Amino acid sequence: MSQFDPTIDLPLAAPPARVRGRVRVPGWLLLIWRNRKSRVGMVMVASMVMFALIAPLISVAHPNEFNLLAARQAPSWHHLFGTTDQGSDIFSQVAFGARRSLLLGFAAALLATGLAATLGVTAAYSGGFADDVINFFINVFLVIPAIPLLVVISGFMKERGTWTMVIVLAAVLWAFEARILRGQALSLKNRDFVLAAKSSGESTRRIVFAELMPNMISRIAAGFVLVFYIALLVDAGLEFLGLGDMTGTSWGITLYWAQVNSTVLQGEWWPFFFPGAALAFTVLGLVLMLAGIDEISNPRLRTEREST
Amino acid sequence: MRWFARRLGFYVFAIWVALTINFLLPRLMPGDPVSGLLAHLTPAQIQANPGIVHEFETLLGGTHNSIWHDYVTYLGRIAHFDFGLSTSNYPTPVSEVVGRTLPYSMFLVGVAFILAFVLGTAIGMVAAWRRGRAVDNVVVPVFMALSALPAFFTALLGLYFLGLKAHWFPIQHAYDSGVTPGFNWTFLSSAFRHSQLPILVIIAAFTGGWVLNMRTVMINTIGEDYVLMAQAKGLPDRRVMTRYAARNAILPPLNGFAPLFASAIGGLVFIEFVFSYPGAGLTLQQAVLGNDYPLAQALLVVLSICVILANLLMDILNLVLDPRLRSA
Repeated sequence: MSQFDPTIDLPLAAPPARVRGRVRVPGWLLLIWRNRKSRVGMVMVASMVMFALIAPLISVAHPNEFNLLAARQAPSWHHLFGTTDQGSDIFSQVAFGARRSLLLGFAAALLATGLAATLGVTAAYSGGFADDVINFFINVFLVIPAIPLLVVISGFMKERGTWTMVIVLAAVLWAFEARILRGQALSLKNRDFVLAAKSSGESTRRIVFAELMPNMISRIAAGFVLVFYIALLVDAGLEFLGLGDMTGTSWGITLYWAQVNSTVLQGEWWPFFFPGAALAFTVLGLVLMLAGIDEISNPRLRTEREST
Repeated sequence: MRWFARRLGFYVFAIWVALTINFLLPRLMPGDPVSGLLAHLTPAQIQANPGIVHEFETLLGGTHNSIWHDYVTYLGRIAHFDFGLSTSNYPTPVSEVVGRTLPYSMFLVGVAFILAFVLGTAIGMVAAWRRGRAVDNVVVPVFMALSALPAFFTALLGLYFLGLKAHWFPIQHAYDSGVTPGFNWTFLSSAFRHSQLPILVIIAAFTGGWVLNMRTVMINTIGEDYVLMAQAKGLPDRRVMTRYAARNAILPPLNGFAPLFASAIGGLVFIEFVFSYPGAGLTLQQAVLGNDYPLAQALLVVLSICVILANLLMDILNLVLDPRLRSA
């Protein structure tokens, strides 16, 4: 189930591997690991991934099962995170919810990154009319507020399974990333190695995918992590508003029922706190990873921080 | 001024794209939104208003005309801001519901955003000027952590700790029950007290973005020769920080205004939901859950226009602050 683990599948595969002792550790992983921020972030995200992987071992079999005799219990040894209004075990809901949230965020980020990198870099390299059109759409998506747009789209959709949401989120969120990648590609397109490839007759597709993209891998990785946590947040937010797949288990759905049943107003803090904290923990881990990648790819930022 | 004309042209295009998305969405999605809409009305209500079925069909699809004909009719109606009737507030027109709820949201987000900007740039300025000192090491990380929290989680935490436990703020709705909205002291003071906690939450969620932007740019301007020159002239430290370094650092963070404002509009939906605050965000959520598509569409258009107007405002401010743009 390596797809749960963003640190393994980060689209960074190109840099050379380095032999260290007997275990081969890829060079980029070592680089990210050496940075304090991204190390802390990676550990946070990895522990959440572990939590999601072992969910079936540590929780009850049916996390949404009603048990009115055990309803509205505060956290205890028996129910570590307490129970909901319907008596479901919140710990189990958070553990199983981690699976959906991580899988969805990862898949949406992968799709959006693919879209953003292809369109953004191609636009920057080709220039002219194609660039104008793509850039125009990027800017339009940036002025139409994403959350209200997604709320309306989810309202029209009656089927909101994981994969549908992945496609919808990627289709709305790609523009954030495409703008960054287009900017980066613009600054690279007149470098000598690109001109050399061009004059030796390479096709546009080859220059985009084989020359430009490998040289902006840190930007692409940063964009991936950015969309990963935005997708996590937005998806949980939509579910929190009641616009998710209400038969499933996820952090947002637990939060939705906590809000709809006014548990907070009755002084019950645990139904909203634990799923919210799990989300915040994952997002914070990803934000730290992003900050670390930024420092690695922008040495100026790094030395500034170290000198303080 | 050519630059400004191009921006204006872009905004007109952007509004057109938003309208077209709105037109296409219900037609591309599987299912029949019109019958979902009519299911919320009683047969008597439908019979009393025979034109209503056709009216919904021109908005959401399902007429027997060609799609181009529908599209032109649709754009014509939107130009008169005629989104039909809201089914969840039947028989109130959508435009009236929007007009009633939008002021609450704009007040929240307007006040909170200006405060977040002032606070964030001030913190970013001081943090960069006195790097590694108290503000930089304590205040900056606190706001960064706050802005990384999901907005609705911050809202729930604020509701529970500051509202419910500490009793510092009222926690639900936009004004006390029993108060009628109007231009009188009772209503305005009540509304002001109810807006405090949501505003605080928005400030907590969005100040971090300004802090980071301002700090990063300010660090670069501090290294410039004119700052060194100002210091060498013996100008007071505070004056060099504000009039020399910060004045020249302010432009790039201002350009981050548009995306931040768009995401604040998004965050508003969650925050209003948490506080049952009857603004455009909560109304949007309820319209969507209640299949009130005309209302949801109208709110999406109006919120997009708000973001575009905010962009326009920033462009004008940019023109005032950056002489290079005026001559271009």
